[in-house]
Amino acid sequence: MNCFEFRRRILANPREKTREQEQHVSECAACANLAKEMENFEARIHDAVLVPVPEALAERVLLRHKIRSPGRLGVWAIAASLMVALAVVIQLYRGAADDENRVVAAAVLGDNHPAVAAISYVLDHEPQLLKEGRSGDPAVMRSALTRLGLALPANGITVRYLGKCPVVGGTGEHVVLQTPFGHVTLILVPDQMFAPRVVVADRTMTAVASPTRTGGSYILVSDSLTSVRQIEKMLM
Amino acid sequence: MLFESEKSKFETLVKAYSPELYRYAYWRCRDRFVAEDLVQETFTRAWQAWEKLRDEKAAKSWLYTILRNEHARLYEGKRIEVDEAQELDEIVDTSNPGAYESFEMSDMLKALPPGYREPLVLQVLGGFSCAEIASMMNISEGAVMTRLTRARLALRKMPGPVTARRMKAR
Repeated sequence: MNCFEFRRRILANPREKTREQEQHVSECAACANLAKEMENFEARIHDAVLVPVPEALAERVLLRHKIRSPGRLGVWAIAASLMVALAVVIQLYRGAADDENRVVAAAVLGDNHPAVAAISYVLDHEPQLLKEGRSGDPAVMRSALTRLGLALPANGITVRYLGKCPVVGGTGEHVVLQTPFGHVTLILVPDQMFAPRVVVADRTMTAVASPTRTGGSYILVSDSLTSVRQIEKMLM
Repeated sequence: MLFESEKSKFETLVKAYSPELYRYAYWRCRDRFVAEDLVQETFTRAWQAWEKLRDEKAAKSWLYTILRNEHARLYEGKRIEVDEAQELDEIVDTSNPGAYESFEMSDMLKALPPGYREPLVLQVLGGFSCAEIASMMNISEGAVMTRLTRARLALRKMPGPVTARRMKAR
């Protein structure tokens, strides 16, 4: 191996160390220096490539997968789920206007309902997201609000976090708000209609998932039904 | 039971490769939010095509390829054409070695044209061989070696991290 061939190989793949290369290094001081220099240089490239990975990324992937995928449990399981969902829908439509705000237990709707999944996401991931303090693009949130025909009041509400989150069948705009009624999570889903409107209680949280006239949906999650209702009024 | 076993394998894969795929996605799109979306989509596609993964040893390159295709499908309007000489000349001014003093290594990596950055990231991050990179990128092994060589030569023209030099100066 000559110097030209050695340099060509070390620049293309510094990790590769063949017997021929090792022999050449032992005989050529200039190439030995280059090899050492390349080792340090490669370490710098390696360090630069290792950008920080968001906390709990794998867990978020698995959560979304769980929400999206009905699994391979077969037609019977899907049919049974549909029957339960149909029963819930009939039950919800049967009531009067007051039933719009009747709180349903999470067990009735199942883990795959958007409102129940949203509560799980908020409980499992939001503390970490708030701790990281990163934030998304306010323009994206404003655009989603406009598409849904909603508006955030100018006063009294602070946006603490903006980002994306998994929702049933896709992705939503995840907004964490500090409001006069406490901490509220708003999830905007302009492309999907979660109908009918549902208010659900699960563990310590209450959520409402509601369709909008524009064909999209929003989900609000908070630790009290009062907060959810108050902020919902402010958004309209 | 079979389903549970496959699900468990999938979960292991997600936990093992999410960080690495996120970094690869980041260097493809240079946007942290888009990178996370790409990882999510990659695993969704992977699960949908789970039967196609015959050899678990090939899982890593399979996932990288899915992510690459997803990025192309969602975010690239057209295939990136690489002019092997001109694009690097545009970012590395050989007549003025001091012009890039303010660049840190990550900035220089960002400044590399995607066609050069990608094989470098695949090699440094994924540990793939030139032949594997060639197969993923649908180019010849020789072209991969040329791009890797030129990418490193371009990066080597950078004098060194500013921070390191400042520390030395103190």
